[in-house]
Order: sequence, then structure tokens, then C-alpha cells
Amino acid sequence: MSLIEPFEVETGVKGRLELLFENQAGQTILKVPRQEPPLKVVRAFPLPGGGTMVHLHNLSGGVLGGDKLETKVRVEAGAVAQITTTSATRLYRSGANGLASGQLNEFSIGKNALLEYLPDFLIPFAGARYRQQTNIELAGGAGLFWWETVAPGREARGEIFMYDRLGISLALTSEGKPIALEQTWLEPALRPLTSTARLGQYRYFSSFYMCRVGLGKAAWTRLESGLTELAGRLSVPGETLWGASCLAADGLVVRAVSRNGRAITRGLLEMWRLGKQELYGQAAIPPRKIY
Amino acid sequence: MDNLKLLQLFQLADSALPTGALSHSFGLESLVDEGSLTVDGLEAFLNDYLKESGLLEANFCRQAYHLGISSEDFNPNWRSLNERISAFKPARESRQGSLALGRRLIALALQLEELPQFRHSLLESSQGLPGTHYCAVFGLLGSLLEVDEEATVLAYLQQTTGSLISACQRLMALGQGQAAQINWRLKPAMLQTALESQTAWQENEKLQCFAPLLELASMCHPALRTRLFIS
Repeated sequence: MSLIEPFEVETGVKGRLELLFENQAGQTILKVPRQEPPLKVVRAFPLPGGGTMVHLHNLSGGVLGGDKLETKVRVEAGAVAQITTTSATRLYRSGANGLASGQLNEFSIGKNALLEYLPDFLIPFAGARYRQQTNIELAGGAGLFWWETVAPGREARGEIFMYDRLGISLALTSEGKPIALEQTWLEPALRPLTSTARLGQYRYFSSFYMCRVGLGKAAWTRLESGLTELAGRLSVPGETLWGASCLAADGLVVRAVSRNGRAITRGLLEMWRLGKQELYGQAAIPPRKIY
Repeated sequence: MDNLKLLQLFQLADSALPTGALSHSFGLESLVDEGSLTVDGLEAFLNDYLKESGLLEANFCRQAYHLGISSEDFNPNWRSLNERISAFKPARESRQGSLALGRRLIALALQLEELPQFRHSLLESSQGLPGTHYCAVFGLLGSLLEVDEEATVLAYLQQTTGSLISACQRLMALGQGQAAQINWRLKPAMLQTALESQTAWQENEKLQCFAPLLELASMCHPALRTRLFIS
């Protein structure tokens, strides 16, 4: 799916980043076949157990109106990769020209490989027009921990749902079959997000997918039960709500809505810890940053 | 549309049809339990529900209707459509509820008419293959019975909205008269949803739904202390 199609406009910057994680005798090695500004990675950090962690940088400091960015990540068979961002992704106002910006993310996770994709929030500024499409393909035995949280805007400045248009799409497939599809076009001025049919009194929303292809139904039911119990402990009605549910196959999704971004960050880490322990028998190792 | 088709459509969309629809709240029970949904806010909620989940399902209903017209590669396309619907439903209980209603509607339809496509779907379901969702079965059934496309989609929206209102009558202090008034006043919203699905159903870009609170409510439903509904 092309990002250009929905906008059909001339663009400013076209940034591309391609990352390849290879498994070499139990050690994951990062290769960077392509990186074009403003997208950049600086170096990889080793993780205990042979995995590799990288930070995604956007040298512009955010996504500017008209930017078209593409990130392609291939985690080859048996490799273990962890990706995070250096800070929240700021989606700037589209500007007088009204150019929309877009980000295409394509992740391919090979046989028995694992990707942990743990970015900071998306913060759409007032007047932002942005579309993001994420495609994730899982091969047999592949694993995934992938989260995304969208903030209401620059809250400290009183910007709550003042963006023009925010499109967020996700296509998650397991061995070629769709197991999770999300497609939302948020236009707060046209369709108020404060409706009980949408976010109600909450402002932040988050999705966290945990997958391991080939795991039996009983394992997912057990994990759903554990995460639901944790969700109950983390939820404070009127402040933050958490929930977890098995997907049609091979995975599970955790959802959260909150009036408080920090509550989401803390909860995601707890959910990840439980999920990683249940699915891999390993401790989750958060990237070093302030949560 | 001839009068026989009209009568058949009335029956399919009637809440008395024993599909099990009245046993599901699709997350409303949790929303009411936590106080997010009240009688005062119900009409506005359903109005926006129709613009989100209602529109998405109307699109799928229409896609299924067109699969019924074009018999080419029916089986793989039908399976693919239902897989996609499942993938758009993150909450297990709501997804399984939709599948259960679809399965039940197929079984009922087979008692009423000879429908080879449905027999095949029922066979696949019994073999553990991906099930069939209610919105898709309803659309396909309309097509196979040669009911008008618009009427089929509208009947689907009327049926599902009516079921949700009926669930709310059991969950909150909503009287029969008030429920009927809300349902009546929602008809323009149903028409608008059906109208939007006329162009949206063929374009993947236009399929969209944003209902995180309802999805969360459905995810939290199994943890409710007392439950009237299956979902």
C-alpha cells in the first residue's frame, strides 16, 4: 500500500530507512542497507542473550508537513531485535500549504525471530495532517511485541484533539493471514473523539500486540487471563482503562485509554514484562530511558 | 423489490428470529456497568456507533452481498472476507459473538431455503475452519434471496441497532416507549450509514473504525462480577 495515494500531493522530504537484523551464530547483527535523512540510526547495542537494540532518530525533530517517510525492517530467521525511538514523535502542523505527512512502516519478522518495537508516543500538534501505515508480517514461529500510543496533542499548551486529520493503519499478518487490522481516520472537528462510542472522557489511546506464531490456543487463553487480571489492577475508571484479548490466532492485543500518558507508559511496561515471561520465559529488558 | 422478498426481509431482520442476538451486548454491558453509558447518552452513543462500527459492518455486509452476486471464486473470497472481519474485531467476546450469530443465521437459513453456499460454510465451520460473521452472512443471504441491496444493508443496520437498544432495556432504566423513540429517531443515521457504505465498501482506504472504549468494554466483559449477556 502506498502512502502517496491518499494524499496525491508534491512532497518535501522523502526519508527512507532500511534495517536488516541477521542472526550470525546466535548473535544478532544490524546492517543498514539504506538511510536517508531525516531518518537515521547511529549504532546498535547488544542485548543479553544475543539480541540487538537500536534507537530510531528523526533528525528533523519531528514529522513536518509534506514529509513522506519509510522505514523497512527485516528481522531474519532466528534474530532478536529491539527498536525504540529517542523521544516522542512530534507531528507538526501541516502549514499554510496544507501538505499532509506520512509514515510507512514495513516489518518482516522471519522464522523464529523476535521483534520488540517500543516507540515513544505520537504527538499530533494542532493542525497536523498525518497518515501512518504499518504492515507487519510474521513467519512461522516469529514473535512480536509492538506497541503504539497516541497522545491528544500538546496538552501543556492546551492542545487537545486539535489536529486536522490523523490516519493510523495496521495490518498484522501471520504466515500470510490477517490476524489484526486497524484503520482509523481521526478528524476530531468532524467526529468528536469525546463521544462514548470513541474515547469518551479519555485522551490517550494505546495498542500493544504480543504474538508468537504457532503457539496453541491454551497458551493464549492463559496469557489473556493473566493480562486481564493485571489490567484490572492497573485500571482506574475515569482515569485509565486497560483490557486484553486473544486475537483470532497467534497473538493477543492489549488496549488502553487514559487521561494520563504516564499511566499508559507504566502499564505498557508491566504488560510487556508479563507477556515476555509467559511467551518466552525471559525478562523484558526496557531500553534505557526515563519512563 | 417484490412483496415476497419484502416479507422475507422483515423476517430476517425481526428480533424474534432465533439467532441469539438478544444474548449479546457486544460490550454495552461493561460500558453501563462502569457508568460510561447512561439512558441520557444512549441516543448520541448509538448515533456515533453507527458512524464507526455500524459503517464498518455495513461495508462488510455489502461486500458479502456482492460476493453472492459474483459466484466466481466464491469459497476463497468468502473465507478471506470473514478472516478480515475477524482481524478487524480485536475483542474476543465480540468477535466470537459475531461468529456465533453468523453460524446460527446460516443454520436457520438452511431450514428455510436450499442454499449451497451456506451448506459449504457450515461444513467448513464444523471442520474448525474460520467461521462466518453475522454481518457477512446477512449480506450474503440478502443477495442469495435476491433482496434489494440497499434494503439488505438497511435491514442489517436496523436489526443490529434494535438488538443493542433491546440489550440496553435490560441493562438500564430504559422504558419500551423511550426505546422505540430512540430507535425511530436513529433511522436517518442508519440511512446515512448505508449511504456512506455505498462508496466505501469497495475502497479499502475508506474502511475505518475507531471505537477503543467499546472494544475495551468488550475485553473487560469476562471480568464482570455478574453478567446478563454472553458478550
